[in-house]
Amino acid sequence: MRHLRLIATLALAAATGTGGASASADPVWVVSQQGAELARIEAGTVAGRIPLGPAPVAAATDRAGRLYLTHPDGRAVTVVEPGKPPRRLPVPGQVFGLAASPDGAHLFVGDWSGDRVLRISAATGAIEGTAAVGHEPAHLVLDRRGRLYVADRESRQVSVIDTGTMTRVAVVPTGEAPFALALAPDEASLYVANVRSGDLTVIDTATLRARATVPAGRMPYGVAVTGDGSRILVTNQHAAAVTVIDAARLEIVATVAVGPYPEGIAVVGPRAYVANWFSDDVSVIDLATWRETARIKVAEGPRTVLAPGEPAR
Amino acid sequence: MRMPLALVPAVAAGLAVVGLAGAALAHGPTPQKIDQSITIQAPPDAVWKVVGDFGGIGRWHPDVAKAEASGGNVEGTTRRVTLKAGGTLVEGLDEWLADGRTYSYRMSDPDLKALPVSSYSATLTVTPDGTGSKVSWIGRFYRGDTGNEPPENLSDEAGRTAMNRYFADGLKGLKAAVEGRTTH
Repeated sequence: MRHLRLIATLALAAATGTGGASASADPVWVVSQQGAELARIEAGTVAGRIPLGPAPVAAATDRAGRLYLTHPDGRAVTVVEPGKPPRRLPVPGQVFGLAASPDGAHLFVGDWSGDRVLRISAATGAIEGTAAVGHEPAHLVLDRRGRLYVADRESRQVSVIDTGTMTRVAVVPTGEAPFALALAPDEASLYVANVRSGDLTVIDTATLRARATVPAGRMPYGVAVTGDGSRILVTNQHAAAVTVIDAARLEIVATVAVGPYPEGIAVVGPRAYVANWFSDDVSVIDLATWRETARIKVAEGPRTVLAPGEPAR
Repeated sequence: MRMPLALVPAVAAGLAVVGLAGAALAHGPTPQKIDQSITIQAPPDAVWKVVGDFGGIGRWHPDVAKAEASGGNVEGTTRRVTLKAGGTLVEGLDEWLADGRTYSYRMSDPDLKALPVSSYSATLTVTPDGTGSKVSWIGRFYRGDTGNEPPENLSDEAGRTAMNRYFADGLKGLKAAVEGRTTH
């Protein structure tokens, strides 16, 4: 028994490596919901696998390279720390979207059917505060000054939360069924992917108003921004494609074919990684040519891709 | 810890929209997969001629009592599909490609009596297969009750059973219709 535990711990250490952004060329984490697995992709191949509790969906990371994952049907968050077995934190709610404070002290989780966001202690799981938001909070993202943006999917809006006081400071109308969020690298703009209206709302984070809403393809389900902020990448779940939007002109400048029902997307250096939910693989997109260059097989139902050092998506 | 509404002026505008959006269209957190196909002894063009008409599903799907479309085979067309067992599916056409012999559509409004699911999208594609054709019908859906404790008749399992039966019945009916056998 003791032996087994030691082996499990070593295996995890090997799978997670040193964690943080400096770990290697292109470490990317992929969360598979049905397969209940976290895969680490390195150098174009799955370099490690961590089994998780049932049906994980969203993920976030902190500066130390810890990973946090939500289990909406299991009322829990899993904490994955390099060199330690995964830790389960019970959370009272249908937890879906997730963000972590950079120091890993606090987690922010959306309660899908409870129309609220919880701030919990990552160490103990204790609830530190709650804030009411709109109906069916989907993904959420935290900026560097501690503001939390929440896509209120069935309220057609983004709620903006001051995480210090856990109060809502603004509500910004969006397109229909906002789901995924991404901040520009300079955090001046927040990009909101609207599933049903097939567009992208651009929110000015200084004025907290929508600056534009522009076409983004069929059923936008994931959004990411290139490192230089010049391109916005939107997965089109119902078109097996990623639309590439020029951030200055806010126009679609390329469409990249990927696998069926793409969802989560992350940019790491010169590549983007896309979770193809239906075909159980990850598309690798070369950002210089805007072409899919590889498919990497992962466990069933991949929905989230996470680059170390980036906030929740 | 809930914030008084008076402190958030914008919330009133947000609430006004809620009623229009309708919680019934909500997606739950656990999507389910449908992946079915059938081979048909007929060339792809002949199969597409039957299955490719978005509003014509009543001519080959044995579970359908009647179907009517708001327009032709173009993006934005809606079809109302009334099932023999009761209930009506309202579906919007998202893409229709004659060259690729494929179309994609999604549920507009849920009808739990027709199918115990809260939302779905699907794609039907005809490809060559030897001297005949292969028809694939794939989709993604969410259970009828997307809360954490769904009743048995609105669970993931109930949704899978109903959707798989509906797709399987349809493909069998299509095969019979194209190959010239009666489905009744």
